[in-house]
Amino acid sequence: MEKKSMWSFQISTSSLVLIPAAVGINYLGKLFAGVLKLPLWLDAIGTMLAAMLSGPIVGALCGIINNVIYGLTIDPISFIYALTNMGIGLAVGIMAHKGWLNHIGGVIACGCVAAVVSAVISTPINVAFWGGQTGNVWGDIVYAYFIAHASPVWVASFIDEAVVDIPDKIATVLIAYGIFKGLPRSLTVLYSNDNQIEKL
Amino acid sequence: MKSLSLFVEKDTTIHRMNPISKIIYVFAAIVIPMLIGNHASALLVALLSFMLLLWAQVFRKVIPLMGFSILILFSIVVIQGMYKEGNHTPLFTLGSIVFYQEGIWFSAEICLQVLNMLEAFSLLVLTTKPPDLIESLVSKGLSPKFGYVLSSVLQIIPQMATTMETIIDAQRSRGMKMEGNLLTRIRAFFPLIGPVVMTSLISVKERTMALEVRCFTSKRKKTFLNVQQVTLQDKIFQGIMAICVAGSLLWRFVR
Repeated sequence: MEKKSMWSFQISTSSLVLIPAAVGINYLGKLFAGVLKLPLWLDAIGTMLAAMLSGPIVGALCGIINNVIYGLTIDPISFIYALTNMGIGLAVGIMAHKGWLNHIGGVIACGCVAAVVSAVISTPINVAFWGGQTGNVWGDIVYAYFIAHASPVWVASFIDEAVVDIPDKIATVLIAYGIFKGLPRSLTVLYSNDNQIEKL
Repeated sequence: MKSLSLFVEKDTTIHRMNPISKIIYVFAAIVIPMLIGNHASALLVALLSFMLLLWAQVFRKVIPLMGFSILILFSIVVIQGMYKEGNHTPLFTLGSIVFYQEGIWFSAEICLQVLNMLEAFSLLVLTTKPPDLIESLVSKGLSPKFGYVLSSVLQIIPQMATTMETIIDAQRSRGMKMEGNLLTRIRAFFPLIGPVVMTSLISVKERTMALEVRCFTSKRKKTFLNVQQVTLQDKIFQGIMAICVAGSLLWRFVR
């Protein structure tokens, strides 16, 4: 029984099939947040859950495919933010594998790391495409404030993105963790790393 | 089974074009104005995409897609016009607010860029059936497993959207409150997302077994049900796109 490295590219069928389910969970998370008029996006629950269950590679794939499909079917602008979601999947997967999720402090730290990763990757994209803004009303007000006070564009854009991302990602990781902890073993055992799959 | 897509059913040359050519066009349409770097090139490419959209008879459907971005673009024009670094030539004033020429010029560049990207992607997305797109990617070398994953997502999302109403009704009938202050609404989120996650993960287990039973991970070479024809037209088009991108790269270095 060897433990596969978290960077193994051998993705089992169950992990592959997890990806569409995770994208669906992302989608519904976003819908419910809209229906309940919550001030958060909550559109990365599935990506984070997949990362916690299956590791960073599957989490990253989930993030990329999520945005590719949104881009093809709902909003073409989503294509370019695929890198951001990939980063979130990678970050959460790595931290989950390293055991950060064993206590509540680690979970919140994981959310902060995911938020920072997301902001760091999104900022160059935002600067290149939107001149630094993000499309979120509160964030852009913060951006306008900083720009009006002669901050460099990168700083203002990063703060704009971080101000919106940090609460959102911490909430998302707490929800994903809550679900992950509540899952019965019959469902999580499909993804655990130290099993050997017998093939005929 | 309803599949998620923006595809508009029409019979034009662009609809019949190979999806890979359209992907190459999207890439060229975004990269060329960025490389050449002036408003004129962006405007030209935007006009070209516009004409292609008219030719494909899908221009009407682009307008709702643009709706998402119009608000952002408007806020960009306002914020850059007022606050951009290096603003010193006033263009016009509204009451006590001054809009500067540099900011407006810069926001015009952003607007053209976004317009280009939207038009190019819309051309791809409105004239290509997602299953055809995925099949051509698989025939070019994308692993069939990822082809499966992409197709599966397109089917899962409409399924899950229809269950959303059922879940809301079911939990409401059990006394869940959905309106009220922020804390009530936050509390309502969990009984809504919980059933969604459980049912999707259970179906993951069943789907995995169904796929394995049908030799999903078999290493044997797979054959295609529909064979996508690569015509001479497609080859010429792809060649022209490659020359245009190479040309603008050259321009960028020579200038």
